[in-house]
Amino acid sequence: MKTSLTLALAGLMTATALTGAAMADDIVLGASVQLTGTNANTGRYYRDAYQLTVDKINAAGGVKVGDKTYTLKLNMLDNQSDVNLSVRQYVQLVSADKVNFLLGPFASNFALSDSSVAEKYQIPMVQGGGASTQIFSRGYKYVFGTLPPADDYFASTIEMMGKLTPAPKTVALVSADDSFDVSVAKGTRKHLTDAGLKVAVDETYREGASDFSSILTQVKAANVDAILWTGHETEALNFIRQMKGLNVNPAGLSAFTVGVPTADFRKALGADANYAFGMTSWLPDASLKDRWFGDAAQFAAEYKAKFGYDPDYHAASGAADVETFVEAIEKAGTLDPAKVRDAIAGISFDSLYAKVKYGENGQIVLPQVVVQIQDGNMVPVYSTDFMTKPMYPVPAWDKR
Amino acid sequence: MVLAQILLNGILLGGLYGLMALGMALVWGVLNIVNLSHGALIMLGGYTVYYLFTLAGIDPFVALPIAMVVMFAAGFALQWGLLNLVVRSKMLNTLLITFGLDVVLTFAAQLVFTADFRTINPSYAGANFPVLGLTVPVVRLAAFCVAVALAAGVWFLLNRMPLGRAIRATAQNLTAARLYGVNPRKLYAITFGIGAALAGAAGGLYGMISNLTPYMGASLTAKSFVIAIIGGLANPFNVILGGIFVGIAESLTALYIGPTYTDVISFGLLVVVLVVRPKRAVRAA
Repeated sequence: MKTSLTLALAGLMTATALTGAAMADDIVLGASVQLTGTNANTGRYYRDAYQLTVDKINAAGGVKVGDKTYTLKLNMLDNQSDVNLSVRQYVQLVSADKVNFLLGPFASNFALSDSSVAEKYQIPMVQGGGASTQIFSRGYKYVFGTLPPADDYFASTIEMMGKLTPAPKTVALVSADDSFDVSVAKGTRKHLTDAGLKVAVDETYREGASDFSSILTQVKAANVDAILWTGHETEALNFIRQMKGLNVNPAGLSAFTVGVPTADFRKALGADANYAFGMTSWLPDASLKDRWFGDAAQFAAEYKAKFGYDPDYHAASGAADVETFVEAIEKAGTLDPAKVRDAIAGISFDSLYAKVKYGENGQIVLPQVVVQIQDGNMVPVYSTDFMTKPMYPVPAWDKR
Repeated sequence: MVLAQILLNGILLGGLYGLMALGMALVWGVLNIVNLSHGALIMLGGYTVYYLFTLAGIDPFVALPIAMVVMFAAGFALQWGLLNLVVRSKMLNTLLITFGLDVVLTFAAQLVFTADFRTINPSYAGANFPVLGLTVPVVRLAAFCVAVALAAGVWFLLNRMPLGRAIRATAQNLTAARLYGVNPRKLYAITFGIGAALAGAAGGLYGMISNLTPYMGASLTAKSFVIAIIGGLANPFNVILGGIFVGIAESLTALYIGPTYTDVISFGLLVVVLVVRPKRAVRAA
């Protein structure tokens, strides 16, 4: 009953969101993004990055195809953080709205389902929100991703752990049960074994869980040196708060795949966020040159000025997706989906996000920079070598 | 020792679960409304405490009674102005209208509060003390005590005070209650107000041990529903016990079967209760 009502409401909202067919001189990029619902907090990065980048490119003269100039248009729908709705919206975007190309949603489980629509209709989708290797292991030809493979998210963290003194020996791996986190956990187990570390606790929890007291009690009893944790931001918040409440503090470190780079996360936790390790595939560094924004630092400044909050790697990844299409369309010299697809596969350009170049399976390969929250600020700590001295080992909760 | 700690975790968490369900059980038992917006009321209570704490600097435990008064007023107004119009129609109507209310409150909350995560984070939020080798988180213990105290308050109200007798009389026999001069409209509004106030208290406590988002309501409504069925609608203490039962069951599931199965177990328990004691559920519904 509840579901059918949701559907009816969703239908109404979609109907009012229709923006009509594309004009002759427009290139329409379609996307279904989490503007509301449980994922809205991260979905906004994609909404804002897509809009900012499209506006910037149009302001710089649009897209040149042969001797004709096109204007970029966005057709963005709200999937309300509902995977089933997002699939229907992508079908609508390609079959009814006839958009030219597809940008992605946030999160692996969404991208996993939505990319099948792109493949079926043979419209290229460049998505910056799904990192799970599941998305790219199905032999799809029309799906490209700008987040590095989830399997390797903890690779640099584990490498860094080997260089710390004292080096952590035992590890607790805690992961959610959705597509992204299953992929992270699978890859991390392998990286841990390769590094000779012992996995003392390996627990998977249900996506959206709010109580971690049982897991934390087991982690505490196992007396591990490090916790590697993967899940969603809201769960990370609960996990850290409950770590403190139950006085769980590994002698070494606690590292999280998500949350640490976002300002909102640090604000919600306050001083309790200190010492947490995290990772990011992007830092707003002026050395990342960009054709439209100048460089990553200028992108970050413009983004902050326009939307009032700092961009993180989600936003940069989303911006790179839009730029990928423009570069590929100009290179292909046509709007034909198959030809643009081939152009994307062979593309290589510098952007505010990274050097964009897609692997054989369609996914970019990037190192994760290990970051740590030190005195309320996010500090890059390690990439292939130490960048700043990490605050290590982590003091007990009552000694901070 | 791990088992003892996990049982303690389950009991403390269960007390809060029970408090969440208490308001829903009260409204359900007296008004025969299964309030699908109950979780949204918990969410609003949580944000009330959050803003009292962050903007006005009021300690969250002091802010709890204030939030309860605010939520009582909101609940009273909702019942008086809206739900009284449908309270005696078919159950589907009340389900529909409270579902609609849930959608409206949730999305209004996103507009007003944004989708940012919030935590009610007083300096003692992570404090704990050891007892016999177990770690007792202070806030969870306090939440448990508040839950039991409020259940006792509801019990006292229903069983020892004229207002409570009138509430029970209305639930048992509306015609007879009216003959004795009870004004059901007002009484319904007061009952729903109390239910909302209890939800508000639960929300404030939840924000201290977990976090607040506009979307937290749906899962809390489902959990409250399960506990209300398991605990029954008649006695507030049974609702708290129902919450503790679910809390322990979830904690043991996480330990022995795996944390991914906690929802399977808590909703599985619901099915078992419905099968084993269908009479109680029928009376409840």
